[in-house]
Amino acid sequence: MTLVERLRGVFVQALDLGQDVEVEKLEYRGVDAWDSVGHMTLVAAVEDEFDVQLDTDQVIDMSSFKVAADMLKNLGVPEH
Amino acid sequence: MTALRTDTVLADLVHPGSALVDAATGTTWSGADLVSRAERFADGLVNLGPGPLFLLAGVDTASIERYLGGLAARRPVALLDPATPPATLVDLVGRFQPAAVLGASTRQPAPEGYLPTADGWRRLTSGETPPPHPDLTLLLGTSGSTGSPKFVRLSGRAVLANARSVIESLGITAAEIAPTCLPLHYSYGLSVLHSHLAAGATVVVTGHGVLERPFWTAVDRYGITSLSGVPYHYEMLRRLRFDPASHPSLRTVTQAGGRLRDELVTFFHRTMAAVGGRMFVMYGQTEAAPRMACLPAEELPARVGSVGRPVPGGTFTIRPLADQETAGGAPASARAWGATAGAKVEGEVVYQGPNVMMGYAESAAELSSGDGLGGVLATGDLGYLDEEGFLFLTGRLSRIGKVFGNRVNLDDVERLLRGRTGHVGPGAAVADGDRVVVFLEGGTSEACRSVARTLAAELRLHASGFDVRPVDRLPLLPSGKTDYRTLEAGT
Repeated sequence: MTLVERLRGVFVQALDLGQDVEVEKLEYRGVDAWDSVGHMTLVAAVEDEFDVQLDTDQVIDMSSFKVAADMLKNLGVPEH
Repeated sequence: MTALRTDTVLADLVHPGSALVDAATGTTWSGADLVSRAERFADGLVNLGPGPLFLLAGVDTASIERYLGGLAARRPVALLDPATPPATLVDLVGRFQPAAVLGASTRQPAPEGYLPTADGWRRLTSGETPPPHPDLTLLLGTSGSTGSPKFVRLSGRAVLANARSVIESLGITAAEIAPTCLPLHYSYGLSVLHSHLAAGATVVVTGHGVLERPFWTAVDRYGITSLSGVPYHYEMLRRLRFDPASHPSLRTVTQAGGRLRDELVTFFHRTMAAVGGRMFVMYGQTEAAPRMACLPAEELPARVGSVGRPVPGGTFTIRPLADQETAGGAPASARAWGATAGAKVEGEVVYQGPNVMMGYAESAAELSSGDGLGGVLATGDLGYLDEEGFLFLTGRLSRIGKVFGNRVNLDDVERLLRGRTGHVGPGAAVADGDRVVVFLEGGTSEACRSVARTLAAELRLHASGFDVRPVDRLPLLPSGKTDYRTLEAGT
């Protein structure tokens, strides 16, 4: 699985997203489930799935799916 | 009306030297500016019929200006969640007959008898209900869960008394700069605004939360000195590895809105103390406008778990449980901790002070009632006082839980279980800290997930606040009622 596919799975699971949601275009507060509470669940799920630890700035800046994917690449998670 | 302005609540609530800053634009209004703008806004309200003003209050300077304008016009203002569902709003309008609904969505058609305006809806007829009581200043929802919401009726005197008590408890000076961390329709959020404006301090208005970059940009740009949060904010800040050393101006944090885990109380106390800052734990209810107790930073290490002493002007007494029914319906008698009679007796916490509400209101007619409580509030919380008068809370008399700071009636949750979730077997809900645990007899894990989702949607709260677990059989008391104590012990 590619990084993007794994990340999509994490988003769907952590935010309990329906099939109609365009996960890769999601932004913070773009759906009801991605509020501050959902964000903490999501951060924990991302950390578990990719075995990374996000720092304060990364947690705050993870404001969209795309930002999350780019951040993981920068942390050295292989894209494929 | 203009002649009466000098004795409005507004003059006492907004110190001329205070300031309001719009974080997004940097625009700043002095307290004197705010008062004159509010008075101008009030001039536009003189032709309205009698009755309260409804205000769908976002966290923005326009909402604050409208709120203060309502106070300047000597009208009771009901602050409502801007996300109030259309059906709930129509129900509230029908029951309370507001003169106008400010900030109502232009997409929602105005209810019967109301005309859409540039700023919301206004009532067409003068109405047949008696005018609101002259002392009535502020109406806030009981932050209840389902069913028809009711309002807490607060006098201007109560609001001002509490603002002054909070100023004294926290030592708020004109140098303090507080952000709007919480919604304004939420009594705790509103009290941050009140106490700072009354102290001649500064309030920075931001619609962003602690998980958003613009919030922290504002903290540093405007030299914000304090944060106010409910337990889940502190859970988030802990996860964020919040470090006040990175924000040199930020030296005070306050926590209210439910019980924060002792471990986090200690953590934040130490984190703040390490940079010369302070952590205050507070206790309040909307019914007390809202704060009743404060645990000062210097007392905190020896009293972790306490919500502190009454705020200035208030007192607590404990009404022993006697034969009252406690959570779960099991009768209990007063339980004593101390060796001497009367020491640390657990019972219902009763607060007395000038900040206690006038009463509740479920209809327009009840808005004309005077003070029905005489400054005495039976909180419905269970607790005890230690030898030095520090209050420790131990539970709720009635079946009320909290999810992320929002009160949830557990009986309502059970009604929803039977009605809306499609679950056919018995279920039971108990409170566990900042979430609700639901036990489903014979539920599958898929059914549990679905029930959590339905409850969250119905109650408009996040699904992670509902921990739904399958059980083979719900424990029962000899009477055949659900044994909630056993369930609570199992959370």
